[in-house]
Amino acid sequence: MKIVLPALFLISCTALACAQDLEAPPPIITSVKHATDGHVWGALIFATNDATKLTGTNEEAHADLPKLNERLAKVFPFKHFEILGQHRQDIFREYESWVVPSRDLFMKIDSKGPADSGGVNLHLQVWRQHQVLVKSDAILRKDSPLFIGGPPWKEGRLIFVLFLESK
Amino acid sequence: MKHPSEEHDLIRWIDGEMNETERTAFEEHLKHDAALATEAQKMRALSDSLRAHMPAEMHVPHADYFNTQIGVRITQMALDEARSKQSAGLGGVLQWLRQPWFALAGAAALGVLGFFLLTPETGDASESMILSSYTPNTNVQARTYHDHNADATVLMLDGLDAVPAERKISGINIQRSELEPELASTTMYNAQGAAVFMISRDALGNPMISAR
Amino acid sequence: MPASAATDPGEVSDLDLVKRSQAGDTRAFDVLVTRYRGRIYAMTYHLIQNETEAWDLAQEAFIKAWRALPTFKHDAGFYTWLYRIAHNVSYDWLRKKKIQGDGEFDDERTEHRIAAGAEATPKGDLAPDTALRNAELGQRIQEAISRLSPEHRQVIVLREVEGLAYEEIAALIPCSLGTVMSRLFYARKKLQEQLHDVYETSL
Repeated sequence: MKIVLPALFLISCTALACAQDLEAPPPIITSVKHATDGHVWGALIFATNDATKLTGTNEEAHADLPKLNERLAKVFPFKHFEILGQHRQDIFREYESWVVPSRDLFMKIDSKGPADSGGVNLHLQVWRQHQVLVKSDAILRKDSPLFIGGPPWKEGRLIFVLFLESK
Repeated sequence: MKHPSEEHDLIRWIDGEMNETERTAFEEHLKHDAALATEAQKMRALSDSLRAHMPAEMHVPHADYFNTQIGVRITQMALDEARSKQSAGLGGVLQWLRQPWFALAGAAALGVLGFFLLTPETGDASESMILSSYTPNTNVQARTYHDHNADATVLMLDGLDAVPAERKISGINIQRSELEPELASTTMYNAQGAAVFMISRDALGNPMISAR
Repeated sequence: MPASAATDPGEVSDLDLVKRSQAGDTRAFDVLVTRYRGRIYAMTYHLIQNETEAWDLAQEAFIKAWRALPTFKHDAGFYTWLYRIAHNVSYDWLRKKKIQGDGEFDDERTEHRIAAGAEATPKGDLAPDTALRNAELGQRIQEAISRLSPEHRQVIVLREVEGLAYEEIAALIPCSLGTVMSRLFYARKKLQEQLHDVYETSL
């Protein structure tokens, strides 16, 4: 254990460092009012095998995120995926950003700036009302969504999707 | 209300900031001012209560993870720095990473706290990456991987309490937000441009969503 | 300024650990983190009144300290130096988030409100020692502190928790000695006002 873990860590960090050499940093995107490090699309999705449990929303996925349901089905063992809510949000550089597709499950994002190899370094917190479910440091890159498997609900599961927009 | 100098005397007496002469004079004054003496007594009692209930040292929740995460972040900084000094290459960083800190950090990180490090095969410059993760509830396990079939990075939270089936989960469609730093709040707008709600923090720092 | 933690005979001194850390020895820094995390966390917790955020800010303080280690001159104790960093990190956060209790900053306005509250304070001797034994009082004190403005909360923590002298508080904030005394006075008055029912029930 003592030998394997640091080795894994060392290799991971090396891979990360090498990966960071591949691309130049992306241009910094700014808004009129407050500087931003990008824009994200977040969605709360209900996954279920029972079509009668679907709530009947007609929300559509982000246009740059094709075949979302099919992709979700490759990760989560459910037949039906329904977008309950969605939120397009600036990632503010100096202020916390909230992605709230639902009052029940939402996310706080703190930007740590553009990642060297593209994308943006983020600190993420998934909140369930007043409770933090998970805190993560992440690099979010374009065309590479993050699927977060959340709590069970109605014999299905709630899923949070976070996606870095290309604009 | 008292004159500011009297307020200051009272405070200095309570906090032991007076010299002997000042203290003697003030205590003599207290003998002839019952109201001030009562106030001094109350304020000193409050001060004692505060000290009793505000320890100077506290147990740090998940203390091992606390240290580990510092190590991870320092590592990340070193990598960033190494990249900015490409001419120096990665040799120095690799040597640095071999230090014993990371053996301890890694062992602690992979404990029960839900912390993990990416395995090298998941690292790719085009993929999103979860660098670290922490679940305050130790019954919840976090694991991450990149699913090539889905072309997505997955953060799976296992062990979360179910949302009661009878709870109605309503979605929202937000297309725009406006930050109001002075109020430490953000107002969210829907596709029609209508303000839907405002999010800010309550006195305890918890998110507070209020209707607009 | 806050003193460093007492070290056992044979325990590596802060000075040695700092020198090793400055040379890049992360394990030495880990020892410093372990040695002071409880005190730094206590300070951030008392200022922020939120476990999750206090935890993050305490960590942020150590990260900043690591980055600033090359500038540490050894002319002050390590803990004093670290404490300043943690204080600034926490107070910046407080100001940024505008967690201000009832939002009062202005001493004159605060004074007016206190005058009104003071009239409601029950007369007679209080029995705070009795109340102290009541576990509920601890919770009430935390709630009352969380409603203080950042400035008032700051002086209470610096004085009551860290035991800093007025001059040290004035230098740290920074502000005049008179401001320190005024803020301490009004901060305590506001706490008395908010806790007066606790005292009342303890009589």
